[in-house]
Amino acid sequence: MSNGPRITKSAASRLIEKRTVDMQIIGDWVEPGTRVLDLGCGPGVLLDYLVQTKHVCAVGVDLDFAKITSCVRRGVAAYQGDMIAFMRAFPEKHFDRVICSRTVQELADPTTVILEALRVGRSLTVGFVNHGFWKNRLNTLLRGRKIRNEVYTTEWFESRPANPVTIADFENFCLVKGITIARRAHLSGNWHTPCRTQPNLFAGYAVYDLARS
Amino acid sequence: MTDDLEVAPATTAKPRYQADGDVGLVTPRDFVHQQPFTFKSGQVISGFKLRYETYGTLNATRSNAILICHALSGDHHCAGWHSPEDKKPGWWNNLIGPGKAVDTRRFFVVCANVLGGCQGSTGPSSTNPESDRPYGIQFPFVTIRDMVRAQRLLLEYLGVTELHAVIGGSMGGMQAMLFAIEYPAFVRRVLPMATTGRESAQAIAFNEVGRQAIMQDPAWNRGDYTKETGPRVGLAIARMMAHITYVSDASMDRKFGRRKKENAPSDAYTFDVQFEVEGYLRHQGQSFINRFDANTYLYITRALDQFDLAQAYGSLERAFAPVEAETLIVGFTSDWLFPPEQNRALALALLRAGKRASYAELSTDLGHDSFLLESEELYSLVRGFLERDQPYGFDYEI
Repeated sequence: MSNGPRITKSAASRLIEKRTVDMQIIGDWVEPGTRVLDLGCGPGVLLDYLVQTKHVCAVGVDLDFAKITSCVRRGVAAYQGDMIAFMRAFPEKHFDRVICSRTVQELADPTTVILEALRVGRSLTVGFVNHGFWKNRLNTLLRGRKIRNEVYTTEWFESRPANPVTIADFENFCLVKGITIARRAHLSGNWHTPCRTQPNLFAGYAVYDLARS
Repeated sequence: MTDDLEVAPATTAKPRYQADGDVGLVTPRDFVHQQPFTFKSGQVISGFKLRYETYGTLNATRSNAILICHALSGDHHCAGWHSPEDKKPGWWNNLIGPGKAVDTRRFFVVCANVLGGCQGSTGPSSTNPESDRPYGIQFPFVTIRDMVRAQRLLLEYLGVTELHAVIGGSMGGMQAMLFAIEYPAFVRRVLPMATTGRESAQAIAFNEVGRQAIMQDPAWNRGDYTKETGPRVGLAIARMMAHITYVSDASMDRKFGRRKKENAPSDAYTFDVQFEVEGYLRHQGQSFINRFDANTYLYITRALDQFDLAQAYGSLERAFAPVEAETLIVGFTSDWLFPPEQNRALALALLRAGKRASYAELSTDLGHDSFLLESEELYSLVRGFLERDQPYGFDYEI
């Protein structure tokens, strides 16, 4: 087998498109001028977008000094540290919306993070890659190896620990924990067009808007 | 702050003070306030003097001023050189200069010796006009707020109508925060590093040992002494002890280990200097007594101990309620004097109060004095915070 798919130029631009795909959806859900917390904010791209388009009062949390520097340079407020400890420092419903975009699969303790986020936020937006997508299933079935594609570009030994989650897993989690799903957006394999049937099989990406019951 | 800034030898024919990115030769100036000044304690002096330096030029709209606030043993000389013969430049020369993180081509940088200090500003070693003798401990008790108010008067005198930023480490960070609290409309950015909203019992304890070393020295004489007769032993011991709190176990171990001094006595059973670290601390103590006043040490450590934002305003959130500035707090992992948790607490309280605040934490092993570190990461963060005056155009770079 080869070393996995080569990333071509067009694939790279598709990748950038994919990385920003949930921005529009989240942007649509965010109320203008509200208080937003982004868990795992990275260099602050999403918050920068929300500040510019929705004039939100934003803060991000990330573990990495360089990411915080990028946020500061963009003018996005950011806090370097553990997201659970951060949220515990805030009273209930301090934030209008907490965002967890493409972060949930890397959390050591997703339950605590999600429940804390639902405590400090009036709503929680979670976006994740659906590992139940048929191509991801086929990839595993045929290659028998860790998924590598334009989104997951690294070998298992170069990757951060990940907790692959599917749409079915996530909906079940919400059911078990009694979390209300206020809105959901399922996107097909191109991460662009909506997916309306059997999302666990046909959706490549999912965004959920959650609230406490 | 330690006296450890080491300067690399000049690599070009140019003298060090003319090196690229250096503000070059600078001359301190004096601001004389000739009206009575009432301290927070209620005590009044008929006027005061602040010694200060400036680098760069105030722009036409008077909007590019940055105030640098110094720590306990620092002074107004934070960049450049006083003479070509100087052994070292100002204490934050690595950060401030043309093209540096605090870019003096863009900004008008001001730094003053604090009220109560001993490097040219009015303090306990100044002459009391009423007695024609040094104030000694007749000098009013100084608080961080008094220091800030005096610097505000200096800035007014300089024609500064708003601060682009106020920056400081340790006690300088306390002043920076208080500036944003007391003069919200005057301050646009606050950058406190390695600081705290109130000292822990341990930090107060260290200050008390320093004060006792001074006050138990018979030469202290209840604060009544001349420059030649002061409590030199006590002040040197206070400095030696404090110095340890500014560094870290790891950095001391790297610098000295258990190395013995070259001319150490071969007989191990003496109390003469044997280890390099002993010689180093003695040298630190000796160089400090030649430049610092023992009474100022008492006053400023007291000001540090009494600084308590939560107590003064009811809570940290209430303290920060008036702040209009954007804040960036920087903590350092190995700082055990004002540890990361105390810095984090400030950022969290600002955020709870609904303010724009960021917190960054640099991994270093240099202890409290890490804010003086030569670090490209720190420079890039500081520059990013200061120079973003226009919102960045949206881009898709990840």
